[in-house]
Amino acid sequence: MGDYCNSNVARRKSWTARHRERERENEEEEEERRTTKMVSKTEEARVTMLENQVDNGGGGAWEYLCLVRKLKLRRSDKVLKHGLSILNDPSKRSSLGPEEWTLYEQVAIAAIDCQCIDVAKDCIKVLQKRFPDSKRVGKLEAIILEAKGSWAEAEKAYSSLLEDNPLDQVIHKRRATMEKAQGNLSGAVELLNKYLEIYMADQDAWRELAEIYVSLQMYKQAAFCYEELILSQPRNPLYHLAYADVLYTLGGLENLQAAKKYYASATDLTGGKNTRALFGICLCTHAIGQLVKGRNKEDKDSSELQSLAATALEKDYKLIAPTKLSSLTKTLRSLNLS
Amino acid sequence: MAEDLVLDTAIRDWVLIPLSVVMVLIGVLRYFVSKLMRSSSQSPDPKIIKEGQVIVRARNLRAAANFIPAKSFRARKAYFSNEENGLLFVPKGQASNPQAQMFSDPNMAMDMMKKNLSMIIPQTLTFAWVNFFFSGFVAAKIPFPLTQRFRSMLQNGIDLSTVDVSYVSSRSWYFLNLFGLRGLFSLILGEENAMDDTQKMMQMGGFGFDPTKSLGAEKDNLDIVQHDWALPKFEQRAEEVLRKRIAEH
Repeated sequence: MGDYCNSNVARRKSWTARHRERERENEEEEEERRTTKMVSKTEEARVTMLENQVDNGGGGAWEYLCLVRKLKLRRSDKVLKHGLSILNDPSKRSSLGPEEWTLYEQVAIAAIDCQCIDVAKDCIKVLQKRFPDSKRVGKLEAIILEAKGSWAEAEKAYSSLLEDNPLDQVIHKRRATMEKAQGNLSGAVELLNKYLEIYMADQDAWRELAEIYVSLQMYKQAAFCYEELILSQPRNPLYHLAYADVLYTLGGLENLQAAKKYYASATDLTGGKNTRALFGICLCTHAIGQLVKGRNKEDKDSSELQSLAATALEKDYKLIAPTKLSSLTKTLRSLNLS
Repeated sequence: MAEDLVLDTAIRDWVLIPLSVVMVLIGVLRYFVSKLMRSSSQSPDPKIIKEGQVIVRARNLRAAANFIPAKSFRARKAYFSNEENGLLFVPKGQASNPQAQMFSDPNMAMDMMKKNLSMIIPQTLTFAWVNFFFSGFVAAKIPFPLTQRFRSMLQNGIDLSTVDVSYVSSRSWYFLNLFGLRGLFSLILGEENAMDDTQKMMQMGGFGFDPTKSLGAEKDNLDIVQHDWALPKFEQRAEEVLRKRIAEH
């Protein structure tokens, strides 16, 4: 830090501090967040190793919990079990120092995720005693209300928190998920759109919005969201796959051709191992064939992609699920691919 | 000459040690005072956050433009950089300069003033105190010889050119403490909180960067992006991948 001789030091420093805080707060979201972040292989291996070790009574519970928190994994049951075992042991707990409170928070959220509301309440009570006016603890309380299903109260708690800090990302997201949990999908869409107007680089929100749009059958909007996701992570095959699904569902020659291309890219990015993408290629080819039938066959595409996909599928089925092979061949035959 | 100077132990007890202790205590005190004075509701400006996010998103668009269909790309490009209400478009007159912004926002000016006051006041006071009580003392001797160039650094306040450079005057000892206690503060107050004066002085130079400038730069970058859909290539690549897979056994 000391090397910067310009004026941005202060701003940057406060920004990093704020950012770090936000990062810490984002952990609260674990319960609704699938691990969209890529976890590197070595870290994954380490988590599994530590998990085994801890599960079998070895030490290292605290390291395991730290790692889970850092990688934003959702292992609520394990976190609850091992976190509680640390918290219930006064000597272990006090050896954590100030990290103790982080652990309380982590365990509280894990407990909420496991519907152990009482445990969560105990944790929050401790936190409240220590930090009487904390917004973070207030958030936890609101999450508990939400977990209990008292939507109106939770909503009230969130809006009072928002008054103090109208730009809190976590609260905005929680409000959207709350609408979703109540089945009010269009309300969730509205909130998410409002949120994305400011935080428009938030991938998780885009993804959530895309999924909601799909379930509302608003495919054009969903396609837009998936495009946004592809832009932010152009090498993630899952986004290509989901985008292709949406395009295929939209139908129409142009969309189908595009869908086939995206299925192909998903195939390429997964090394040809994604069954859904392979089926997608077959279906798209069939649908395109149906549409162009009768028209001039000049631009009939000469690629062997579909037959290759079909062969790959057959091979996979032979290897993994031989009993289902007959139904596969039937399906492929009906698609004129076998 | 250097051998002749013997420092009284009373100087150590009544100048060197008190000066260091006072400097440390003042540093700690100032930390707490500035913590108290920091305005607690430091809510960031939504406009600034939005601008940052717009830039990230536009950058993503630029980097991965070839992964989305041409139609989608054109729509986004227009959304970002059209001349009417595009997100990246900054009207000429509106380019706000941070100086003006600071004056229009009294809170910001107030913050700056508080920061500066909490720095300047104790500094002037301690300097006056050192000057008044300890001027002219030779407070310490460093155990190695130094060249003449260090004289102005180590013997501030003593105008004798014959004194060996390894003797430190009290006023210089004050300066050494002022700038050198950062490590100690980071031990006492924790890594984050050790903001020493040198850093603060650097910050005073100017403040704020101009987000509108980066918006404009991003817009220019986006304007020259040529869209070339990458997906058709992927079909061939997928074919190759599948062929390889099928041929594996």
